[in-house]
Amino acid sequence: MSLRRFFYSFPIFFSVFLLQEAVVTQMRLPAGGINLLLVVALIWAALSTPEIGALTGFGAGLMMDVSQTSPGPMGHWTLVLIIACYAVAFLGYGDDNIRGNPINIVFLVTIGVVAAQSVFLLLGMMLGQEIGSISNVAFILAGSAFWTAIISPLILKVVSYFHIIIFGVRSHL
Amino acid sequence: MRYGGDNRGRLLIIVLLVTSLFLITLDLRGVQVIDGLRTGTQTALTPVQKVGSWAVSPFRNFISDVTHLGRTRNQMDKLKAENDKLRLTLQSRETADAQLKQLKGVLNLAGTAGYKVVNAKVISQGSSTSFTQTITIDAGTSSGVHTNMTVLSGFGLVGVVKYAYTNSALVQLASDPAFKIGARIAGTQQIGILSGQGTRKGVLQLLDNTTQVRKGDALLARGSQNGRPFVPGVPIGEVTSVDNSPGAVTQTADVKFYTNFSTLGVVAVVVSGSSADPRDALVPPKPRPTPLPTVTIYATPGAVEPSPTPTPKPTK
Repeated sequence: MSLRRFFYSFPIFFSVFLLQEAVVTQMRLPAGGINLLLVVALIWAALSTPEIGALTGFGAGLMMDVSQTSPGPMGHWTLVLIIACYAVAFLGYGDDNIRGNPINIVFLVTIGVVAAQSVFLLLGMMLGQEIGSISNVAFILAGSAFWTAIISPLILKVVSYFHIIIFGVRSHL
Repeated sequence: MRYGGDNRGRLLIIVLLVTSLFLITLDLRGVQVIDGLRTGTQTALTPVQKVGSWAVSPFRNFISDVTHLGRTRNQMDKLKAENDKLRLTLQSRETADAQLKQLKGVLNLAGTAGYKVVNAKVISQGSSTSFTQTITIDAGTSSGVHTNMTVLSGFGLVGVVKYAYTNSALVQLASDPAFKIGARIAGTQQIGILSGQGTRKGVLQLLDNTTQVRKGDALLARGSQNGRPFVPGVPIGEVTSVDNSPGAVTQTADVKFYTNFSTLGVVAVVVSGSSADPRDALVPPKPRPTPLPTVTIYATPGAVEPSPTPTPKPTK
């Protein structure tokens, strides 16, 4: 594991964070829209080792926590993304059936996004946050899954390209 | 081969998890440094968001049109015909006109109540993937906007300022699941607590179970001490259905907010309330059906019916 290489990925995630905050949130996409940073972090983790996955989750989670639209305390998204990215990286690591097939990665990331949001929700409830009606929660989760399944295949090649540049050719799809 | 991990890797995961739990603890204990991080980020992001808002507005309008296509087909057909006439002259001013209309509505409402307001444009809508409903406006502490101030649209309550930064502010919408407001029913003055539900529908919980609520009743803000976070008299919404279950501890009702939160362009922040409570003066008038023209014919008894005049025969 090379921490130095991991830090090279910071400008990429910062650019995605800016894109999310300045552009994606402006589009007012139906069905709750998409969290681009969450999707990119999970794709990145799916292509990485579990340690890099956890570090990616930590960095992306911190960025999501400093976002003004984050409702929870600082560290809420960080904790969720460390677990989610580590789990996604762990499931994909060493298994070429998952990592070598883009469809499997899209499936893994889509499940990961829904799972991460569900954990975020449960953790939020434990911390005393209001979650609204069940139907609204289900609608947002379904919307997130839909948008992730649409967006992931479109950005997978780009994310994979940058991952190859930073970490070598092991993640080549 | 399945990954087993090593001690260094496990230690890293534990350190990261402990760090995140540490951050949560610090934030929940109200450490200023954590708040400063978010404030600093938002201050730095505001100019980028303004540029993004300007650049994305055509695409956003397109998405909005597509979203409402099925629901408002009839309305769109009428508007399409009207748009054809206006397109040539107003092509470059559509967005500005829409904002002007919202601004007029807001100013009318604020003027009637005597509120002192600061107008602001919506520059960002928070992602609901975090299960919250927020917007960001382009007015902040430099314009006199502070936390816990009421935010209005031309139709009524929008929400409350949750965080105020130098040049922007985060507004918690009334539809947010964590949003609660003391409300009273116009006319009867019954009071209750209205909660957001994540949609345009809210739930009103009445404090007195013996009172009667009817469908169509208008809801107004009760107001808070010194007008913060809520100034009194702001229209909130109208009752759409009432739950009169006999076994219920409290009576509840579904409420539809007057404001359509997905189309907000211009809002107003109430920086100072009126000296007197406007009471029910801001309740929007109920739509009245357009009267159909009718003709009444009276038959007068004894009146001679006009008979056809015989045509004189031509003489030879």
